[in-house]
Amino acid sequence: MRRPALILVAGVAAAVLAYAGVYYSRTADCCHKTQGGAPELAWLKQEFGLGDAEFKRIAEMHDSYLSGCAERCHRIDLKNQEVAQLLAATNHITPEIEKALAEAALLRADCQKKMLQHFYDVSQTMPSEQGRRYLAWVQKQTIPADSHSQMHH
Amino acid sequence: MQSDQSLRQTLQQWKVDAPLPPRFQEQVWRRIELSEAQVELPAWLRLWNRLSTALTRPSLAASYVTLLLLSGVLAGYLQAHISRTHASGDMAARYVQMVSPFQSPHH
Repeated sequence: MRRPALILVAGVAAAVLAYAGVYYSRTADCCHKTQGGAPELAWLKQEFGLGDAEFKRIAEMHDSYLSGCAERCHRIDLKNQEVAQLLAATNHITPEIEKALAEAALLRADCQKKMLQHFYDVSQTMPSEQGRRYLAWVQKQTIPADSHSQMHH
Repeated sequence: MQSDQSLRQTLQQWKVDAPLPPRFQEQVWRRIELSEAQVELPAWLRLWNRLSTALTRPSLAASYVTLLLLSGVLAGYLQAHISRTHASGDMAARYVQMVSPFQSPHH
């Protein structure tokens, strides 16, 4: 009576161990990346098959772009506050409001231009085929064809 | 009459050389016990008895363990594939949020 029970338990234990072993061995690098300092960049490296030198250069470009991006975001925030104050002070479009809205639009356009330039720089640092793939992907993600997206600051 | 005599002689000379299967006596007694007790046993116990009888056969026991082992490997592989796909999608979305001020949330 004990031997069949042991075989049954051994089968279940073998299945559980096999499941856990395969699962953790296949996802170990994935978890390691998620817990790392810059998992998004680690993902970029793996997804686009970057070498160490290319990755280092792209990481530097990424940091430089983000610091500039934060500065541009700050300027847009200030301009948005200015527009809000102007709008609160009147109930029709004044020349000051028109000017502030135009300046805010210019700031957003500048922000988008810098973003696109960053994508081009990154893609050109990658191997050519991967660069094309990156550019197509990132443009599709950030600039949809019929975009009505708003900035969120 | 003559043929009965001849048959009896042949049977007396007949010797079985083939070895009995492993745990033959145990299994015989087990089947006798089971057949006697079959009537009053509940269904799950009858199933267990049939299963445990089957598992005394080494080939079936090995097949059972192997099947479960392979099922575990396959389930682990598929689940890991799903997890990796999700993680990759999450990382891609985070990258896009990080580099694009037109995605939320940003900075």
